[in-house]
Amino acid sequence: MSFNARITLPAQAKAGEIVEIRVLTRHPMDRGGQSDGKGGTVPRKILNRLTATYAGEPIFRFDMHTGVSANPFVSFTTRAVETGDIVFEWREDGGAIYTRTARLTVT
Amino acid sequence: MGLAIALAVVVLPAGSALAEIKSGSDFLSPELRRQQADETRNPGFFWVEQGRELFSRRPAGDGQACIGCHVEPQQSLRGAATRYPQVDAATGRLLNLEGRIEQCRVERQAQPAFGYETPDLLSLTAYLASLSRGLPMHVRTDGLAQPYYEAGKAFFGRRQGQLNLSCQQCHDGLVGQKLRGDTISHGAGTGYPAYRLEWNDVGSLHRRLRACSLGVRATQFEAGGPEYLALELFLAARARGLPVETPAMRR
Amino acid sequence: MSSAISPRSARTEAGIDRRSLMVGSAAGLLVAGLPLAAAADTPPDLAQLIARVTEGAIPERVRIRLEIPALAENGNSVDTRIVVDSPMTPADHVRWIHLIAEKNPFPDMARFHLGPRAGRADVATTLRIAQSQKVVALASLSDGRFVMTDADIVVTLSACIDGG
Repeated sequence: MSFNARITLPAQAKAGEIVEIRVLTRHPMDRGGQSDGKGGTVPRKILNRLTATYAGEPIFRFDMHTGVSANPFVSFTTRAVETGDIVFEWREDGGAIYTRTARLTVT
Repeated sequence: MGLAIALAVVVLPAGSALAEIKSGSDFLSPELRRQQADETRNPGFFWVEQGRELFSRRPAGDGQACIGCHVEPQQSLRGAATRYPQVDAATGRLLNLEGRIEQCRVERQAQPAFGYETPDLLSLTAYLASLSRGLPMHVRTDGLAQPYYEAGKAFFGRRQGQLNLSCQQCHDGLVGQKLRGDTISHGAGTGYPAYRLEWNDVGSLHRRLRACSLGVRATQFEAGGPEYLALELFLAARARGLPVETPAMRR
Repeated sequence: MSSAISPRSARTEAGIDRRSLMVGSAAGLLVAGLPLAAAADTPPDLAQLIARVTEGAIPERVRIRLEIPALAENGNSVDTRIVVDSPMTPADHVRWIHLIAEKNPFPDMARFHLGPRAGRADVATTLRIAQSQKVVALASLSDGRFVMTDADIVVTLSACIDGG
């Protein structure tokens, strides 16, 4: 289990309210370059991008390089507009994609 | 007066109840302590979550999942971790939580052992220890456990390695002082398996002890081996009354 | 510390940087022409890194706050928060916030892309800071301007290196 995510946001919010979204991710964020013991080096393998859409519209993007820690945390805000899914998508070096979804109910 | 103090220091036995033992958390920055307490920030909870899943998963073949015997672990195993390491009555061997899990896996589930420091064993250990969060440590040091306790106590007090340092010299004598960027703690070990920033990962107490041994340029013993098991028992006895904090965050 | 320097991320000699700067890069030429006042408290390397991100524009030191500990217990994970004073309206908002650590093997650490829907320009993350240095937070605003701030951070070394 090298990837997992814990997404924290209020279950519901009033229309127009600004909500904070906190995302803790399990990932080694291997910056690469260490010896592989066979004369070569380990390739970089990090999550290089996190995007978030809310009811289908992009609201946030986080571009990550090797300066982001292992098991990274990120938080950001969005204005509650309508009840809908917030979909998080991570892109890993090598092309793997991970997704998670959280629901925001707007009252 | 000065002489009396000097004498008192000399005769102070290892693990004396005179000094109040503090948790490793007390030596962290307030920021890291807050992060540790916050499930939305402490990465150690990923391992706890993984352990909880493993606990309910049936192993290969027709073996039982852990939860098949240990129903309602939140109640049935709450407090279990506070009593480890303990002597296994059947074999007379000292087992820590990792050792007990492995024993269950091999003897009752008929599965190959996970191996020390494997992600599966770390996760299960972190999960089981987390069920005792907040409960005070109270291991037994009498009866069958006594020789192990004495061995651990002797290890703690013995000078080792090229730096010729004992555990006690720093972790009793210099607690609270700085060693490069670190603050010297009592070495209570009550938060392990813990998420260490140094590792970017969750690791066992024995992995931490191996780093201590390396730090004083001494022999690094095998994780899960008799030396660190005995030391773990001594540390747990010394930390009697301190709450279990797994999964803790440490530097 | 278990830090390995990757060949990919090896830094070029400062002298070479300066030479390539003089030869071609438009951004670099602009940096070379920075008024002394603006460049005074920013080392040349960092000024280059900033100019590359802003395509030569000189950021103002207003409206942005960088919260990062002055002393990091461990450089592997440093709590960092950036707040830009912005109404975050379609007409006036933060487009992105970029983080630079001049002495990291790879100085560009991360970039947050925001928009008016964020409501506030208030983001946080955990950074990997290789050594004691200056960290820069730089924001691109919707009107084409840039704002920046920086903070010095001391990264202490762990006492007990880990040999597993």
